[in-house]
Amino acid sequence: MVAVQTGANGLAVGTPALKSVGPLTFSPDGILFVADNLGATILAIDVDEAGAAQETRPIEVDNLDTRLAAFLGCASEDVFIKDMAVHPSSGRVYLSVMRGSGAATIPLLLTLDADGILSELSLENVRFSQTAVPNAPAEDDARTDGRVVRGKREGEDKQMSSGTVLRIARDVLRTVAVTDMAYVDGVLLVAGASNEEFSSTLRRIPFPFGGEAQASSLEIFHVSHGRYETAAPIRTFLPYAGNTSVLASYTCTPVVHFSLNELGSETQLKGRTVAELGSGSTPVDIVSYTRDGEEYLLVSNTRHPLIKIACKDIAGQEPLTQPKNPVGVPREALPHEGVGRMAKLNGDYVLMMQEDATGSVSLHTYGSESL
Amino acid sequence: MCLRAHGWTAAELDALAALPAAELVRRLAVIPSKLIEARVELRALQPIAGRFEFDGDSVCFRPRFPFVEGECYSLVADLGEQKGGAPHHGVWTIARPRSTATPSTVVEAICPSAATIPLNLLKVYVSFSAPMSEGWANRAVHVRLADDGARLADVFVATEPELWDPERRRLTLLLDPGRIKRGLVPHDEAGYPLIEGAPIIVSIDPAFRDAVGQPLRAGAERRYAVGAPVRSRVDPTDWHIARPAVGSRDPLTVEFDRPLDRALLEHCIEINDGAGVPINGRALVGAEEQCWRFEPDAPWAVGTYALVVDSRLEDLAGNSLQRVFDRDLMRPGDASITAQPAVVGFEFI
Repeated sequence: MVAVQTGANGLAVGTPALKSVGPLTFSPDGILFVADNLGATILAIDVDEAGAAQETRPIEVDNLDTRLAAFLGCASEDVFIKDMAVHPSSGRVYLSVMRGSGAATIPLLLTLDADGILSELSLENVRFSQTAVPNAPAEDDARTDGRVVRGKREGEDKQMSSGTVLRIARDVLRTVAVTDMAYVDGVLLVAGASNEEFSSTLRRIPFPFGGEAQASSLEIFHVSHGRYETAAPIRTFLPYAGNTSVLASYTCTPVVHFSLNELGSETQLKGRTVAELGSGSTPVDIVSYTRDGEEYLLVSNTRHPLIKIACKDIAGQEPLTQPKNPVGVPREALPHEGVGRMAKLNGDYVLMMQEDATGSVSLHTYGSESL
Repeated sequence: MCLRAHGWTAAELDALAALPAAELVRRLAVIPSKLIEARVELRALQPIAGRFEFDGDSVCFRPRFPFVEGECYSLVADLGEQKGGAPHHGVWTIARPRSTATPSTVVEAICPSAATIPLNLLKVYVSFSAPMSEGWANRAVHVRLADDGARLADVFVATEPELWDPERRRLTLLLDPGRIKRGLVPHDEAGYPLIEGAPIIVSIDPAFRDAVGQPLRAGAERRYAVGAPVRSRVDPTDWHIARPAVGSRDPLTVEFDRPLDRALLEHCIEINDGAGVPINGRALVGAEEQCWRFEPDAPWAVGTYALVVDSRLEDLAGNSLQRVFDRDLMRPGDASITAQPAVVGFEFI
């Protein structure tokens, strides 16, 4: 038997097997969380940048997709950049990338330095831990996803409240695809979309994984114009204002505020709509930055300009009650074209992945004073 | 797997082998040939990850990631300067053969299977006979008007990641909820994704790739009439339960008041006996997702049973037992209820 050292954060040395890579986020002390939607798993990896010099140079990489295609030995069409995160102390850029599709897909975690040099993050003998993406039904709930089976070929024995022992097999047609993650004070917040019911569940997973505290979930609602209440999956979200607030954007386009204090104790929460994107546009990413002592948020989306919102305006915003367009808090459209994923770099910069008219993706850095 | 280029002299190989790693990658590189054909500035690129080995009269490149079927790869070597000082590059190109497998995957089902769908239809499921590739959902599924063939744009919302079952055989497509929900800007600007009274055809393009990269054997399509929107909670007390004879193992049939969500029907209903224990048997979803049948393993006995319905069960418009999809707060009867399973008792006497 191989002795495994379990260290801080419940991490142990080993080689995790990824089936896919998706959303990324860092904890403040540099633990990289990676959502593997195909494996229905979230990994926490210590990327061990202790002692690494802080990268202070802005990053400019033209034609990142072509560089990735060259590095990975495939056509540009076979490169799928899934997410981007910046290590909190070293400033190194991490990318989750899928090469190819179908059975030939290779999931990869890559780093990108200020000179545009790509490197693969080796997962061999890293310190890591993992948890299953929580999938709603309670363990003893044989009704929801289980079916009673005979024989021992499949399933497991469950004792019912009546004392009867039944063999229950669980169908796993139902999945939760993680759309975004954020780490706040020992809890990994995970937004996801179900491939069956139209759910609006925000999952709260304590970290280190597997501790006594159990994962729990919260149903999120919003009201449009004080008249229609709906549930909706969160596409992207960001804790801000010293982790007291969350700005979230739904698949159906409203941008919603809720307080993180409420998020800890409630099982249902109504978000306050502060803005709406227009038709045909889906939210992509949210990032915060500070300029002249004020905190601002940028919301990127698929069709409309990059939106800039001052956090102080959100705090003073009344819930939207009247249909009007544009609606919500005062907001500014920034001229940056084709912005997708974004990340904060060293406090003073915002990194943006931008797609040009030819479909080519480049990475640009903007000083917060210019935004 | 390696790319091997023969015909080097011993002196050339010795010189290459003696180079420091940083210099070697400046002199030898393997690049996808498409990038060379596209006249991308090679010096701006980082070559394919991998390592070089020198063996006999050949240079061998072992890529970190396997070469892709059907792609061409070029070994580019900096051979110093030509007479007159111009750089001298050697380029050797090989092609990885493309798979010759014939397409075999087909679309097994497009759901709902109801002939008429509500204006506020929320989901379409497409089931395939084999695991599929991601990246095609947004470009290979189309909706057009049945009458004139006009394409309806932006019907489905692009989900990232795409919504698949774990086997990657069943794809879930969401009709843009921002256009369905009343009061939202997309709804006010662009209206419903569908048009009441205008029949549509949902089609799956044969270009949709399966997991081994092959297109479908054939495309598929399904026609729907588009009816009025549905905005009320699913209520099992509105269903009709047809009981078979005691002592038989004939199916019990539950007729719904409206078609329900196919995927959720697979595991949201069951029959409990008088002790509250689920009974063994086989459940079948009926035509047009309008009914559900249950064949017990043991004959029906005199006594009480219960139809137990998970409150997550939705209809075609996303209304569940708990809530109306977009609830009008002015209608108190539509208030959401807590997430308890519904239990409808029935008796065999």
